[in-house]
Amino acid sequence: MKLPPVEYEAPTTVAGAIDLLAEQLDEASVLAGGQSLIPLLALRLARPALLIDINGLDELSGVSVTDGRVAIGAMTREYVASESEVVADAVPLLAAALPLIGHEAIRSRGTIGGSLAHADPAAELPAVARALDAEFVVRGPSGMRVIPAAQWFEGYLTTARRSDELLIEVRFPAAKRGTGVSFAEVARRHGDFAIVGLAVSLVLSGEVISDARLAFAGVSDVPVRATAAEDLLVGERPSPELFDEAARRATDDLDPPADLHGSSDYRKTVAAAIVRRGLRAAADNARERQ
Amino acid sequence: MAEIVAERYTGASIKRSEDPRILTGAGRYVDDIKLPGMLHAAFVRSPLAHGLVLSVDVSAAQVLPGVVAVLTGADLEAMTVPGPDPLMALLGWAGPTPEFTLLATDKVRFMGDPVAIVIAESRYLAEDGCELVEVDYDDLPPVVDAAFALDPSSPPLFANLGDNIARPHSRHEFGDVAGTFAQADRVVDVHIDVHRHQNVPMEGRGCVASWDAGRAAMTVYAATQSVHITRTGVATRLGIEPDQVRVLAGDIGGSFGLKIGASREELAAAAASRHLGRPVKWVEDRGENLIASGQAREESFDVRAAVSHEGDLRALDVKTVIDTGAYPGMGMGAMVPDIMEAMLPGPYQLAALGFESTAVITNKATYVAYRGPWASETFVRERVLNLVAKDLGLDPVEIRRRNIAARTDPPASMITGRPLVGVTSKESLDRVAQLLDFPAFRRRQVEARAQGRYLGIGVATFIEAAPGPRGPDGALGSESMRLRLEEDGIVALFTGQMPHGQSHQTTLAQIAADEFGVPFEQVRVVVGDSAVVPFGLTGGSRSATMTGGVTLHGARELKAKVLDFAASLMEVSAQDLLITDGNVWVRGDPASAIAVSEVARRAASGQFGADVDAALEVEATFDGGQGGWSGGTHGAIVEVDAETGLVTVERYVAVEDCGALINPAVVEGQIRGGVAQGIGAVLLERSAYGEDGSFQSATFMDYLMPTTCDIPRIEIEHLETVPLDADVNFRGVGEGGMIVAPPTVVNAIEDALSPFGVRIYEQHLPPARILELIAAADPG
Amino acid sequence: MADITLRVNGATREGSPEVRKTLADFLREDLDLTGTHVGCEHGVCGACTVILDGRAVRSCLMLAVQAAGREVTTIEGLATDGGLGPLQQAMWDSHSFQCGFCTPGFVMQATAFLADHPDAGEQQIREALSGNICRCTGYQSIIDGVLLAAERSRDIDREG
Repeated sequence: MKLPPVEYEAPTTVAGAIDLLAEQLDEASVLAGGQSLIPLLALRLARPALLIDINGLDELSGVSVTDGRVAIGAMTREYVASESEVVADAVPLLAAALPLIGHEAIRSRGTIGGSLAHADPAAELPAVARALDAEFVVRGPSGMRVIPAAQWFEGYLTTARRSDELLIEVRFPAAKRGTGVSFAEVARRHGDFAIVGLAVSLVLSGEVISDARLAFAGVSDVPVRATAAEDLLVGERPSPELFDEAARRATDDLDPPADLHGSSDYRKTVAAAIVRRGLRAAADNARERQ
Repeated sequence: MAEIVAERYTGASIKRSEDPRILTGAGRYVDDIKLPGMLHAAFVRSPLAHGLVLSVDVSAAQVLPGVVAVLTGADLEAMTVPGPDPLMALLGWAGPTPEFTLLATDKVRFMGDPVAIVIAESRYLAEDGCELVEVDYDDLPPVVDAAFALDPSSPPLFANLGDNIARPHSRHEFGDVAGTFAQADRVVDVHIDVHRHQNVPMEGRGCVASWDAGRAAMTVYAATQSVHITRTGVATRLGIEPDQVRVLAGDIGGSFGLKIGASREELAAAAASRHLGRPVKWVEDRGENLIASGQAREESFDVRAAVSHEGDLRALDVKTVIDTGAYPGMGMGAMVPDIMEAMLPGPYQLAALGFESTAVITNKATYVAYRGPWASETFVRERVLNLVAKDLGLDPVEIRRRNIAARTDPPASMITGRPLVGVTSKESLDRVAQLLDFPAFRRRQVEARAQGRYLGIGVATFIEAAPGPRGPDGALGSESMRLRLEEDGIVALFTGQMPHGQSHQTTLAQIAADEFGVPFEQVRVVVGDSAVVPFGLTGGSRSATMTGGVTLHGARELKAKVLDFAASLMEVSAQDLLITDGNVWVRGDPASAIAVSEVARRAASGQFGADVDAALEVEATFDGGQGGWSGGTHGAIVEVDAETGLVTVERYVAVEDCGALINPAVVEGQIRGGVAQGIGAVLLERSAYGEDGSFQSATFMDYLMPTTCDIPRIEIEHLETVPLDADVNFRGVGEGGMIVAPPTVVNAIEDALSPFGVRIYEQHLPPARILELIAAADPG
Repeated sequence: MADITLRVNGATREGSPEVRKTLADFLREDLDLTGTHVGCEHGVCGACTVILDGRAVRSCLMLAVQAAGREVTTIEGLATDGGLGPLQQAMWDSHSFQCGFCTPGFVMQATAFLADHPDAGEQQIREALSGNICRCTGYQSIIDGVLLAAERSRDIDREG
């Protein structure tokens, strides 16, 4: 499974990377961590004419906090993010999801931006970004754009990033007091993509849920916010009955894809179980963090 | 020194001689071989399951810079000798023999069927070249399930056969089948399916073939379980005298039955090497390994069991259909029913057995030998015992106790002929029941159910012919070995065994060191060179007995010879001499000791006349002695998450009898590896074909292998064996884990799901299937 | 083609690989370091694991050119003066492996993991090694080797 012939450039500046993208458009692929892209090339499913290796763009790495938002540079390695105290403290849902991504060696190279630009709907980070309404900062020849998560994920492996744009950073809102999170998933084995996964972020004000965010992985061609369930939850006290009803509302309209690992019905059934478990875990987490 | 004491290696977990190189990256596997001028091969493979090949246009590929040659199926026919796999003849197959070309010419018969070989300066360029070969196919209706293959209207894959039958229907009966069923209190009737899954060694198939035009000789660096069988394959297909073919094997990254003989691709690479006069390397990638190397176990069973109300299993009547895929390979698929039939009774007292089988040809990869190829006999029997137990309201341990043959003298015989001599199945079952503490588990199970958790317990018992006792026809075959005391004092063992993880370099040296009387480090096991070692095959779990035995007896013969020579050197009688710790000495006189190496040096000095036999070498053979069964009972406790269908194996125990242990750590490693494959088969692994014959598990994202988080600690106990032979009571253990783990785990899963009324008639239970079974079952 | 210079097992090495050549293939073919094995070429089996700038990575998922200027350690680089390092010795003592094909990946992954988590328990070690596939052993002996290495290392620390 050898890679097909391809050209290679390793720009040393963001501007240089954007110039290349503007020139090549859809003929180029951006090489970030490579953990998703290289297998596609090895299987000869992807045939870009040019690889633009952005691993030399140090300015795209880093975690910082500004105005209640945590900005994570697109080239921040997953393992760096998972070791970051800022992330653990201010984006606990991301911290909860990161250890579920693949394995140690994958997280050594895989990047936050790379995973989110690849946008595999069964991956953990897209669900996290969608749950938290993250913002995607891209830069192109015509300047900077900030794209909200709701618009970022357009379809299967397709994002709102234009071919001449580079993802620069992803901004997550800092968690409010009373936040509790969980990332629950059903996977065939430890570290596998989720058959169904759920990112949950709740805010408990006293005993009442004042904010609820639920986003599924693996139930569609994009991560899916369970807004009907969220609406139900806000203003209520956590209880098994509430979570059961939330699970029903979250999954009623789902029409998940089928593949070797599960039928559509299976995913739907499991999604409901995941909602119950995820909400329970997030509520417990909120109480722990208080 | 007042006394020289010999160290006892046999029975100890001596550290492996293989490991220093394995642990430092100094192993030498086929893909590590680099020869001057070496080229790399890749194959154009059919994207269709079944089709006519209308044309193959290699012109664009041929002119790609770096591509040295492109050979089509037709080209290869012209440079090879047509015929079936020589292994089929070796194994005595007399049934339907499909005729086909080495690479596909007029027809492709499974997705992945090789159509052309591209040889280039690098594997990268060879794959580029493959993309430029244009093949024009005409689709044919695919034959993707046994039912259609059995239907005479299905398009025959092979013109010379006229149908898709690889092994015509046959039926054998043992005992009074009709009468036993007529008198039974109850007849249980079930259909059981075993799914397709595969060997998946971490190293795929491959070779480097190197033709020396000057000497008209072929050298093949192979990954193989037998250098001699590979040699036969290459010599026959290429029309070369066997002694002009040399097969060399170094380290091999696992095989589990896959790498026997020479595959079509390896033969094509060898032919290409001869054609080009340069070495050609072909090492399959993981995609090829999953799609094309071969698969196993796609077998269906209609089973009738004649039972008494109290749970006596009086008779079984089994009808099986084996899906052998498209190409017969060495014919394993067509031959496996015979072994299944022979082993089906297991260690149980059946009064009668009916067994009928058919094997069919389909548009899928070849059915190959996979660790315990006949394993489904144990799956079927151990599942049926549990299903019958459920019907009768009996405990699964009790029903087995009731039916297991006790060890008697003379021994009981399996209804299919072989004696159950020395069998310790009952003891293993009792011990597993003790270890698992069924009463305590049942209490825990009830408590867990009250909390909505589903725990289950399962056991399964088996025997394995490794090689087992002599049957009524007596023969076990034989194993040979050449043993030589080298000039430097090394005891060299030349064996046709071809270890690929079995640690023979260590275990055989343990036996020889003990028997001969030298330190472990003074023995060298020589394998992997067809010019140097006798015929042999590592497979069938025979090596512990056969090769262990020939090592033991051969070392004794060599020692006798060496002592005769030493006697003339030392001018004493040979009866007065001992060899211990690498020294030859006169009994009672430690000061007389001469190093074995000194004796060897003297023998090699050529200073002795014809009256002294200074050729310190023997050729030994061993016929298996008085062999016994390996076997045992395994038990598992699982938890099934009834909301997601995920299964966790909480505890797994194995109580085994594999005779005398040569190296306990090696034995336990073999057991655990086999069990892991069995757990993998049930929970994770499936070679999946679509209705159109497309192969759907072509990467490790879809063919799921068990990992550290899927296999628990496996507790192993060894039973004190019943020695049957004066010297050789080592028995094989390589396949047992894989044979008995699947029914053990499935039995436990069914037990966990019994509140739902689930009954399981299949082996592959991914989470989605578990939920389906729960939804479809009737708890009433 | 690209000319690259990198440090491998403490030595400066050079090469001119095609840009599409993976680091795994470059190590094996261009640098004759065949200890790193290729088991799947799509990043799942872990046999190709090496240590890059202190982190375990899958060398089949990196291009050779991406390792330019970096520090790579392969299994050949662990042996101290031709002998066995402590993890390798513990694995030998524990009969960790059989066919040996997965071994380099496990050894490198475990090396990197133990360096960061010297006190890891069995469950943590299992999770850390869950991205490496072995077909022969059922994993227990490999886990035992890693646990033994960790225990010995703690004993040495205590004595020191």
